[in-house]
Amino acid sequence: MSKILKIAQREYVETVKTKTFLIGLLLAPAITVGIIFFAHLVSRSEGGPRPPVKVAVTDLSTELSGQIERGFEKHNDSHPNRQILFQALEDSQNQAAVQERGKAGVRSGKIDAYVVIDKDILDGPGKVYFYTHKPKPANLDAFWTLERIINGLVVDQRCRLKNLSPELLAEIRSVPIERVEIGSGKDEQRLQSQTERMTGMMVPFFFMFLIYMGIMGIGQQMLSSVIEEKNSRIIEMLLSAVTPFQLMAGKILGLAGIGLTVVSLWAVTAYGAALWQGLGIEITGGLLFYFLLYYVLGFLLFSSILAGVGSVCNTLKESQNLMMPIVLVFVVPLISWYQLVQSPNGLFARVLSFIPPVTPLVMILRISAGSGVWGLEILASIVLLLAALLVTMWLAARIFRTGILMYGKRPSIREIFRWLRQS
Amino acid sequence: MFEIMNALVLDNVSKSFGELRAVDSLSVQVPTASVYGFLGPNGAGKTTTLRMIISIIKPDSGGISIFGNGSIEQVRARIGYMPEERGLYRKMTARKILAYFGAIKGLTVDQIAQQVPKWLDRVELGDWADKKVEELSRGMHQKLQFAVTVINEPELLILDEPFSGLDPLNQELLKSIIDRMRDEGKTVIFSTHVMHEAEKLCDSILLINKGKVILDGELNRIRSQQSSDVVSVELEGDTTFIETLPMVTKVQLHGSRLEINLSRDSESQQLLKALVDRVRVRAFEIKVPSLHEIFVNLVGASNVEDS
Repeated sequence: MSKILKIAQREYVETVKTKTFLIGLLLAPAITVGIIFFAHLVSRSEGGPRPPVKVAVTDLSTELSGQIERGFEKHNDSHPNRQILFQALEDSQNQAAVQERGKAGVRSGKIDAYVVIDKDILDGPGKVYFYTHKPKPANLDAFWTLERIINGLVVDQRCRLKNLSPELLAEIRSVPIERVEIGSGKDEQRLQSQTERMTGMMVPFFFMFLIYMGIMGIGQQMLSSVIEEKNSRIIEMLLSAVTPFQLMAGKILGLAGIGLTVVSLWAVTAYGAALWQGLGIEITGGLLFYFLLYYVLGFLLFSSILAGVGSVCNTLKESQNLMMPIVLVFVVPLISWYQLVQSPNGLFARVLSFIPPVTPLVMILRISAGSGVWGLEILASIVLLLAALLVTMWLAARIFRTGILMYGKRPSIREIFRWLRQS
Repeated sequence: MFEIMNALVLDNVSKSFGELRAVDSLSVQVPTASVYGFLGPNGAGKTTTLRMIISIIKPDSGGISIFGNGSIEQVRARIGYMPEERGLYRKMTARKILAYFGAIKGLTVDQIAQQVPKWLDRVELGDWADKKVEELSRGMHQKLQFAVTVINEPELLILDEPFSGLDPLNQELLKSIIDRMRDEGKTVIFSTHVMHEAEKLCDSILLINKGKVILDGELNRIRSQQSSDVVSVELEGDTTFIETLPMVTKVQLHGSRLEINLSRDSESQQLLKALVDRVRVRAFEIKVPSLHEIFVNLVGASNVEDS
């Protein structure tokens, strides 16, 4: 055991001293802080003036025409940076011809949108048609505004027809909502902004991402460490003093230490950044406990896999090819995190929880999503992780033992299976 | 009564890699305080044997005992092993590498503090102690590797092709380390395919080819056993009668000397007697074959038998 600790200690100290480690350590928080800061800047500024959106309207009901132009002007007064320009179409008795001209204008790009309002829009089943041609993503917000303006005008006009005052309607529709977060204490309560709600959503993702970054980033260190020892022929010098298992275990342990250091630093930075931005994030001790537990288990599992992979490869590039399938598995919870947060106890989340390499990611996501994951399920996932860890370490140790002494050609899968069978 | 304690005993050890039988029923006893050479051509199974001794690979069958101990874990701290493929951490300093290997070989902090400077001095790296390995020359790497191997003052030193790639100065340094260890009553096993190295250093040898023992024993005895049938002489007078002598099988002229092959059961002393009676003998030498010749003879012969 003391040999394992000494190997771990060397691994830790020598890794901490490398430049790549330092860069990796500082880069992630730097990027995080940068993004928050940048997002802050963007949300404060209105953004510069953007090109006006040109819109033509054919009102078959004939009752809205004047109001539409006025509606646009009102909007333009309050949004000088994002104007909506009313384009008149050449009038004609032939409505079909007018509409064709409108559509042609949209097609040719002279106007960005063409609106046709049905004759019986005010008192019948008529519709409003928005014609666009290959709309630019940058214009989507303006179209949305346009729809809102026209919707408002139609509603106002309908009110007048029915002798309702639009002001009355606005009064009726107005329901002020105050979002209040109450604390654990009796009188603790505070208003919660929309951002804070969003942040609440992001916390589970953040926890999962932290585990992912920690496992992946530091895991790479395992590959390069094993391959360095193999390439520079240190392995056999070491093996006169320690067993392959001690060597592997020491490495895993040392890098787990690195991983904990890094993740703690990142977490503290992120927490600090959140406080600095005035975002209250409540993290319970229980969650931290599970976070550490799942992180350590997941890390040990992944780095055992990497120790096995690294031992049969001669270059980092070779090992990264072998790693591809495993990395792809990790991407699944990353891209489906939103769905997992929405239904943390759904079938998808449950199944994913029991696929060992991603178990830590999914479980921490589910637990931090805060909707009572069964205690039994947590226990089962931990038992499964432990079992997977033992099996993986056993397999990896066997591959490691033979692989680290093989220089030159990478062994085939069949050869590796033969090593596994050998006692 | 007093049996010499063996530092290492291999009993019927075999190891195969797939179809290849790398080591085939190998048995050998290495007495304590001897320098034992494992000789053989490339691919003979030397490295495999040494790796099995150090337990880097496990034998398929047979037993290995070191200092009378069946498990290497009990005696690892008493062994030093220098593999054929050897390297060091490039980013660590010489001093730290020695301290690290000392630590994983089970030295205490006090022992490390004492051993590291001592060995840095002995391999003349004292001035380079705090340089990183990548800043050292190749020759210095080799010195550092010796020091790493012996940092724990091993009682059994195992060296795999220790002389390959060494410059003459480092060869001498390594020899002096081996000599010193022999003087201190320690055991050294090394493998090589360079015979004159073995000849100068070994007390005993094990000659293996294709995983099998061809020859095993003390070097002096092996030489004397192999030697008795060739005599080199320098004579004055008519020498034509020699070919007719009953114990002579072949006579060859080598410059001013004659090389006389004797029949197996005859004595060189009989030849000397016969010569002294007829001619003036200026030189009479019982040819001791070099290890190289023995090696070529035996390995060549075993290869012929096999094919």
